[in-house]
Amino acid sequence: MSGYIDRNDPRFPADLAALSGSPDGLYVEGVLSDLPGVAVVGSRRASRYGLGIARTFGATVAGAGWTVVSGLARGVDGAAHRGTLEACGRGIGVLAGGLDRFYPAEHRELATGLVSGGGAIVSEHPAGTPPEPWRFPQRNRIISGLSKVVIVVEAAPDSGALITARLALEQDREVFAVPGDIDRQTATGCNLLIRDGAWPVLGTADLIEALSVVMGPPPKQRATAGATGGPLLDLVGPAGREVEELADLAGLPVPALLAALGRLEAEGAVLIEEGVVRLA
Amino acid sequence: MVGREFVRGPPYVGGVFGSITSAALLGVEARALSVEAHIGGAKEVFSLVGLPDSAVREARDRVKAAVVCSGFDFPTGRVTVNLAPADIPKVGSAYDLPIALSVLTAARHLPARPVVALGELALDGRVRPARGAMGAGLVAARLGVPCLVACSDAAEVAAVPGADIFPVADLAEAARVVAGIGERSAISPPHPVVHGYPDLADIRGHRVARRGLEIAAAGGHHLLMFGPPGSGKTMLARRLMGILPELDDREAIEVSCVWSAAGLSRSALAGRPFRSPHHTASLVALVGGGNGVLVPGEVSLAHHGVLFLDELGEFPGRHLDALRQPIEEGELVVSRKGVSARFPSSVQLVAATNPCPCGYRGERAACRCSSQAVEKYRRRISGPLLDRFDLRLRVGKLDPGAISTGETTELVRRRVWAAAARFQERGCLNRDLAPPMLDALPWTGAARELLQRRLVSSGLSQRGYDRIRRVSRTIADLGGEDSVAEEHVAEALSFRVDW
Repeated sequence: MSGYIDRNDPRFPADLAALSGSPDGLYVEGVLSDLPGVAVVGSRRASRYGLGIARTFGATVAGAGWTVVSGLARGVDGAAHRGTLEACGRGIGVLAGGLDRFYPAEHRELATGLVSGGGAIVSEHPAGTPPEPWRFPQRNRIISGLSKVVIVVEAAPDSGALITARLALEQDREVFAVPGDIDRQTATGCNLLIRDGAWPVLGTADLIEALSVVMGPPPKQRATAGATGGPLLDLVGPAGREVEELADLAGLPVPALLAALGRLEAEGAVLIEEGVVRLA
Repeated sequence: MVGREFVRGPPYVGGVFGSITSAALLGVEARALSVEAHIGGAKEVFSLVGLPDSAVREARDRVKAAVVCSGFDFPTGRVTVNLAPADIPKVGSAYDLPIALSVLTAARHLPARPVVALGELALDGRVRPARGAMGAGLVAARLGVPCLVACSDAAEVAAVPGADIFPVADLAEAARVVAGIGERSAISPPHPVVHGYPDLADIRGHRVARRGLEIAAAGGHHLLMFGPPGSGKTMLARRLMGILPELDDREAIEVSCVWSAAGLSRSALAGRPFRSPHHTASLVALVGGGNGVLVPGEVSLAHHGVLFLDELGEFPGRHLDALRQPIEEGELVVSRKGVSARFPSSVQLVAATNPCPCGYRGERAACRCSSQAVEKYRRRISGPLLDRFDLRLRVGKLDPGAISTGETTELVRRRVWAAAARFQERGCLNRDLAPPMLDALPWTGAARELLQRRLVSSGLSQRGYDRIRRVSRTIADLGGEDSVAEEHVAEALSFRVDW
């Protein structure tokens, strides 16, 4: 359904059309379906921690079957999209310029990944429109407009992500925020949001639970980890564990343990990197 | 004197001629070499023609002394020895014995009788072992004639099927063999080799690494181990040797040929070779070459065995790139000065490296390397080389409290050997399974499904996909299963440790 969708077109997202500041139409490449989605936004200059969280949340939300909406920008946006693709989920990237004008240009691959993964990239401007700075806050209203929940991963007090969060509140959307260190500039925005009533997200399980309240049960139940999965995942714990350590702790024959880990990884429940198992 | 048993040479009117066959090893290919002697003319000269190098030219003096010391008269007049064909460069001292025998034949001290001979002569006539003795055995077997080599080379050459070996202690004994008189000396058995491989039971903990080692051994998979210094990577590599399948006869001969071409003696019983060149080794030492003599490099000396590269990242990239092709193809052609030789290089590559410059990345003790430094360190190992490693193991710091001792080498070896018997039916090692062969293997539906799921869930490259399929096959072999089941694939997936 690539092309231009007018505001009066039945295919135009209803939640977006209902807004007062709704765009006149959307240029779309890919498929707009399963809306409203869940927006994952945050700072362009995020910390390593923030990037990791964004990626994990992108994968968690997409893995549960919801559509991840973000802005294809550097930092948190890109990480969230990347997580979406890693979980083979559906995602929508909202651009500030025309659909042929990527900013940053290196995110072109992410964009093609979103489109080929069953998602879309959208913009309210025709092809060729340059992504000028003042178009970004405008773009943010579409991100929140396409979503029912906006998760702010990391945001400085004066950042675009906070604008999105404010717009989201005006549009009657739910705002979730990831708490951060109180002395870190990029975390202040999120902490402020939490003080003002945003829902603090405390982990992936917590996130799914909270999202289920707002959005209804996840469309795709997380694949079960198998008979040994549960206890094994508990052993891995939030900090991750070396495979060798697990072999000592799990009380399973090594081949059986390795097979269980291989299965969990294929299901996307864990990541095995450099011999260390982490919860995905 | 010994020589008195033989007829005295007649006067040489118009010149007389004698010829003995010898052999040259070009790489591991044995070529027959004809050593012809002509005696004629009055002038007292001993000349050697046919592209001999200086060591061969010195043979004249050794041969003369050895002939005289063995009780023969060295023929008077002009003695010309030709080594043919002329296009094979002759190097070293291995042709002393055939030269002496052909001169004695030409001088009518000995009857003309087809034999193959190879060995160096001491001035007193003793026969010393020489580089390329395996070549003589192969040529003699091909021609169906007796083969004369030094006593200490005999046991090794005797492994060549169909070779009729006569160990000769000195020139006089060699002459008696050619003359067809005297007893054949017994081939002294090779020195019993004690497999000095340390036992796996010594290793505490490292249970996953041990399992990886077992899989690597069973499928011949190239193995990359990474972990902090002192975690036992080298310890594990040495213990791999003890569980590898045995060399079969054909393999043993190939190994002996390479070692013989390098002038190294090696007992037929010595098991698979384990070579661990230091990272400062020269390119020639690694892949072979040399001036005049084409000598096999470490990658060929490890043929049918293990090439262990410790501190992989410290090897110059140029050297690693040069090693890649021979490891992939299983052989390499070394060319120098118009001569080329083919050396086999079917090796199992085992490499160890630190995960980062300081070595402690991923450990509880923090690593202080910047991510750029780690990136740079890892880039030293090129992607294509990294792709060769079917198995990548993290060998973490040993927990000093670990007391779990594992199975002994003996136990693991039994499983590996049983698995090896399965792929021998398949005709190649699992590491050499090409994608079409992998497609043709029996897979259960669940196994295919799991593979497919993993392929979709993360960007697995085609090579990565094939690696997992090969390792899955080996795990199924270890389990004694005909078709690859889901649990085999699942276990293989857990080994896909990124590096």
